[in-house]
Order: sequence, then C-alpha cells, then structure tokens
Amino acid sequence: MRPWSLLLVLLVALPLVAGVATLPPHDAPDAPIHTQVGALYLERGVAETGMKNLVTAVLLNYRGFDTFIEVVVIFTALAAVLALPKGSAPLPKGNAPLPKGSAPVPKGNAPLPQPDAARSQGVGGARSREEEAPEVASDVPVSPVVRFVVRLLAPFIAMFAVAMLFRGHITPGGGFQAAAVFAAVFIALGLVLGQDRAARLVPVDWRPWLQGVAPLAFALVAWIGWRLTGAFLGYPIDDHTVQEAMGFVLEIAIAVGGGVVLARIFLEMET
Amino acid sequence: MQPFGLDLDYVAVVALFCVGLYMLVAKSNLLKKLLGLNVMETSVFAFIVTAGMVEGGDPPIMVAGTSAPYASPIPHAMVLTGIVVAVSVTAVALALIVQIHAHFGTIEIDELKELP
Amino acid sequence: MSDLFDIVMLALLIATAVTVARARDLLAAVVIFSMYSLTMTLVWQHRGAPDVAMTEAAVGAGVTTVLFLITIARTTRREKP
Repeated sequence: MRPWSLLLVLLVALPLVAGVATLPPHDAPDAPIHTQVGALYLERGVAETGMKNLVTAVLLNYRGFDTFIEVVVIFTALAAVLALPKGSAPLPKGNAPLPKGSAPVPKGNAPLPQPDAARSQGVGGARSREEEAPEVASDVPVSPVVRFVVRLLAPFIAMFAVAMLFRGHITPGGGFQAAAVFAAVFIALGLVLGQDRAARLVPVDWRPWLQGVAPLAFALVAWIGWRLTGAFLGYPIDDHTVQEAMGFVLEIAIAVGGGVVLARIFLEMET
Repeated sequence: MQPFGLDLDYVAVVALFCVGLYMLVAKSNLLKKLLGLNVMETSVFAFIVTAGMVEGGDPPIMVAGTSAPYASPIPHAMVLTGIVVAVSVTAVALALIVQIHAHFGTIEIDELKELP
Repeated sequence: MSDLFDIVMLALLIATAVTVARARDLLAAVVIFSMYSLTMTLVWQHRGAPDVAMTEAAVGAGVTTVLFLITIARTTRREKP
C-alpha cells in the first residue's frame, strides 16, 4: 500500500509545483488578486458598507450569500451529529452487519492481538492504561491548577469575545471569531467543571432556537433587505444606519448561533 | 525569496498538502486519516491567505494607523468561512469514528475490511 | 528579517506536519497537530490576516483539538502499525 501512496502523492505534487511556478510572486502588488474586484472593495468598501473592517464587510455584505449558506452548513453538521446514536451505545441488532455466529467485539478493548514489537517501539506507559479502560480519561480528576486557571480566565476570555463581537467592524474580529472564542471558553469550562454544570449555562428551552439563530437571522435580514431594496439580502447603500443595524444583527446571530452549535457538538460527543 | 523561479512559500504549502494527502491515503487509522484531511485543509487555507498578501501590506482594516497597500480582503473572508466549515466536517467525522469504534471495536481500515 | 521568520515558520510547519504523520501515539499526533495550527496562526498574522488568525487559534488549536481528544478518550490511543 505504502509505495503506491508515495507514488500517488508524487503524481499530485508534480502538477501542483508546476502550477504554483506559473503564479505571480505571492507578495506582488500587481497580481490579479490585488487589481480586480479586491481593489474595488478596498476602494469603495468603507463608503458603501460603513464598516472599516473590510473582511467583515465582504463576509456580511458583498459575499452575504456565501456566509448565509455557510451558517446553514454548520447547522447541518450539528444536525448530523445529533442524528447519530448517543455516545458508545451499540447500534440496534437489526442494523448490525455482524452475523449471529461471530461474537461481537468487546467494547473498548483492542479486538486483535497486538504484536509485541509494537509495545516496545511505541511510547511507553500510555499503552497499558489505555488497554484497561479507554473511558477512564473522563474520570481522572482535573488538576486544581488547571481548574483554577480556567475558572479565573474564563470571564476575561468571554469578555474578549464580546469585545471582538461588538468592535468587529473597526478592529480584527467579528461574528465567527467571537463564536469560536465563545465555544472555546465553553469547552474549557466543560472540561474543568464537568459538562453538566457547563451545560447549565445555556437554558434548555432556548437551545433549539439558539442553535438555529444564525440561519434564521440571515433569512430575516435577507427578507428585510428584499423589502428595502428589491434584492434578496440587499443592503440599502445610502442608508448607513440601516446597514449597520442589519450587519449588527447578523454578527450577533453568527456569534451566538455558531458558538452554541460548536458547544452543543462538544456536549454531544462528551456524553 | 524565489530560487529557481519557484516561490518558496507556495512550495511549502504544496509540501504540506502532500503530507496531508499521504496521511489520508497511506494511513490505516481513521483518526490519522482525519488529521491528514485537516492538514490538507489548513494548507489550502494557507495557500489562499498567502495569495492575498502584499509586500509590506497592512490588514484590510481601514482605521487610523494603517496605510496602503492593504492585503486583499476576499481571501480572508473565504478562509474564515472555510475554517468553520472544516471544523464542522471534522466534528461529523469524529462522531462517526466514535460510532464505528463502538460498533466494531476498531478504527483501523485494514481491520474493518476483514470484518465479515 | 521577514524572510528569516518565514523560513523558520515554514520549516516548523513542515516538521510538525511530518511529525503528525509519523507519530504512532494518536494523542501525541493530536497535540502536535494543535501546535501545527498555532504555528499556522502566527504565519497568517504575519501575512496581514488577523481575522483569520484569530479564528484559527480558537477553532483549529482549541475546538478541533478538544474534539479529537474526546474521540481518543472514547476509542483508542494507539495507531496499529
């Protein structure tokens, strides 16, 4: 298997190298990427969208469709994770492709005998513990140092995320960044406090709505834009207040929705 | 830096892509395959971001203290969405791997193939 | 100076990627992969993409790593040779 893989990788690598050799130097100011529509955005972006951070402007305004479908994608990913059976419970017998004669493999153990060579060449120590019980990882108590540091820092990281969210139009940051940081804080807290206490941070009744808030808000803003300008997801170019309000709603929705979706995926995989 | 007419930054990105591809193709372990896929994704993002940079350029944020030339904002926006999609794909794949392990007791493709 | 930074970072990226590919211990592979992501973050910040760098730092090095770790805890830590 291995020599053929190397050959395949070489076969892919050669045209790729030949391809990048024809590209203009990556930092040349006159490369097409800097002279075509990108230059247009840089020139008119602030005047047209009212956002000083042009990445956010492109994300929400010029390429709004892309972002719309993208929040649908992460929502779909959550749906796919939720659709799988919970945790390590085996699938129902009817679906199992194993015939009745063959004994089902004991859960968690290595099913096949391992050559002893693997034991000696591998990283020592880790192996024996893993073989006994892989689930043991969640039972190991969290180090007090880690617990203290995470609990101390969590509010500040969360505040940083909020700052990124609300200043996303003038500084680096925005909805997706805030969503990622929110999710990271939640996951850190979940690992330290236990997922039950972390899960309480998000009220159960709100969860379905919060998970879907990003696509819903996008649909709402797109509809408002349609009513205002006649174009789906259109922004009124001459009214900066309305534009900023629309962008703001989208940013908050992406931050909350994306963060909750990532956190829920974490919770679903933890249990 | 461009020895032999090759842009080293681009060549490095191609090398990363190939390492990821090798992991995806040659490794039997599903988790290793997924890591390889992530390496490939990241290398493509690096390629796009590298293409969008400009000599001595500032980030495309038009506030006081920055000046032209600016890096192109489009690649950044595309990569931003790409990263979040990549983590979604990874999450779904990992959930599937957990299911495969719960059901068959192994995450090695070679052993999964031998199952009846 | 800038070229030197680029060369060091790209070499580090390739080294970490190859180490991820070679590691037999999946836990080690995942931890090194998070280091790869963090290095990538620095490269992107250096190339004028702070937005992307922030997202990658939180998602690539944080969320993805934790999801991988959970999977390792629920499956197995060793890659069979």
